[in-house]
Order: sequence, then structure tokens, then C-alpha cells
Amino acid sequence: MATFLSNIIFKGIASRSLTTHLSSSCYYGMRYLNTVSNDPDTHDDFKPANKNESSGISLSDVVEKDVKDNPVMIYMKGVPDFPQCGFSSLAVRVLKHYDVPLSARNILEDPELKGAVKAFSHWPTFPQIFIKGEFVGGSDIILNMHQNGELKEMLKDIKSKQ
Amino acid sequence: MGVTKEQVESSLKAKLNPSHVEVIDTSGGCGASFVVEIVSEQFEGKRLLERHRIVNAALEEEMIEIHALSIKKAVTPEQWKQQQESSNSVA
Repeated sequence: MATFLSNIIFKGIASRSLTTHLSSSCYYGMRYLNTVSNDPDTHDDFKPANKNESSGISLSDVVEKDVKDNPVMIYMKGVPDFPQCGFSSLAVRVLKHYDVPLSARNILEDPELKGAVKAFSHWPTFPQIFIKGEFVGGSDIILNMHQNGELKEMLKDIKSKQ
Repeated sequence: MGVTKEQVESSLKAKLNPSHVEVIDTSGGCGASFVVEIVSEQFEGKRLLERHRIVNAALEEEMIEIHALSIKKAVTPEQWKQQQESSNSVA
């Protein structure tokens, strides 16, 4: 097991130096998945699972349903209680100021979902925040809206968590 | 390897004709993370989301290699002037 792990880590590092992009630590989770899924020696158990493959629901439908059903929806790196990127962390901290239910998906766990969200919003980076079905922006915008009062106004008619 | 501060600046200058632009490389050298401050007439009458979309679009090619782009300011020349004046009066 130890050998197996060090093998993955080694391959991860090796492929990192070959690619010119994806250089930030925030990307590490995804990098790991990519490395594993392209490795012919890897056991099926370690491949990323596409949960929607057999259900016939496309990922863009998932995103559409997410943003429709959840008044505050955030696609982020990590989860709200453990963000894996400073920008995602900032966005969650801002949204937690308000007493509204926060729904989140971790795009590091699902590269295909990540692509689907980007295509849906035509926005290149994460986090991405949707309020009442509308794409609001990333962490810079949510912080700005928090500071100028727009966010409070936008969230005021959303029922609190209780 | 990566994108340079100069590349980001020249793309922004070419596409948005800014009266002021400041790009800071926050990646520690690998060229994947930038903070941008930009003043352009093209932002006139546009919401912040649309302004950010304009900047993202101007950097479409670079964005493939940029991991984090923080748009600290995307303001019109008039807003920029006001902000400069108010920050001066505070200081």
C-alpha cells in the first residue's frame, strides 16, 4: 500500500512537471484524479466514479436542477466546512454571514461536473455562486456585493435555515 | 511556462483600451495566479458581473493557463477618479 501511494505521488509530481498549466496547489485534487484515470495499471476501484453515467441524466441537467432547487448554490473546491482553495473559502465565509441555507458541490471530486458548470455559466473559474437560479459570480463579486449591501438585498426573501 | 504579468497586461491593453491597468503576479513565479486592477470606458453602464465577463473574455487564451484571476477593480474612468480623490482625502 505504501509503495502504491508513493507511486501515485511520484507519478503526480512527474506529470506536474510535464504540464505547463494547473500549477497551483488548489488544483492538486483534480490533478490526482487525472493522473489516476489515465494510468492503465490502476485498478478500477481507484478510478473516479461518474455517478450519473447510468441514470441517463446529463450533467447540465444536474446543474440546472441544482440552481433551480437551491436558493443559494455554490460550486466550490472542497466543501463549506473544509474549503480547499482560498477563493472558495472566502466565498463561503461571506455567505455564512447570512442566515440562509447554503447548498454546495465539490467540483474537485468530479472533473466532468466542473466542466458542465463552466459551460453552464460561461465563467472560467471557481467558486461559482448562484442565487435564486441566477449566476451571481465568483469570490470577488460576492465579496463586493457583501460590502455594498447588494447581497443582503438579494438574500432577504430567502427563508432561513430553520 | 505559465503566463507572464506582461502577457496579461498587453492582452488587457490591446482589448480593453484601459486608462489604467495594474497586474500583480501572486503565483510566486509560476504564472498561474494574478490580481488585476483595470480602468476602462468599456465598463460604462455595465454591472460588475458583466465587467468581470469582459475581463475574462479579454484573457480567454491566458485563462487556460491561469488558475486564479482576482479582479480587484474593474471601474470606469469616472469611478476611478472619484475613488482616487476619496482615498486621497482620507490619507
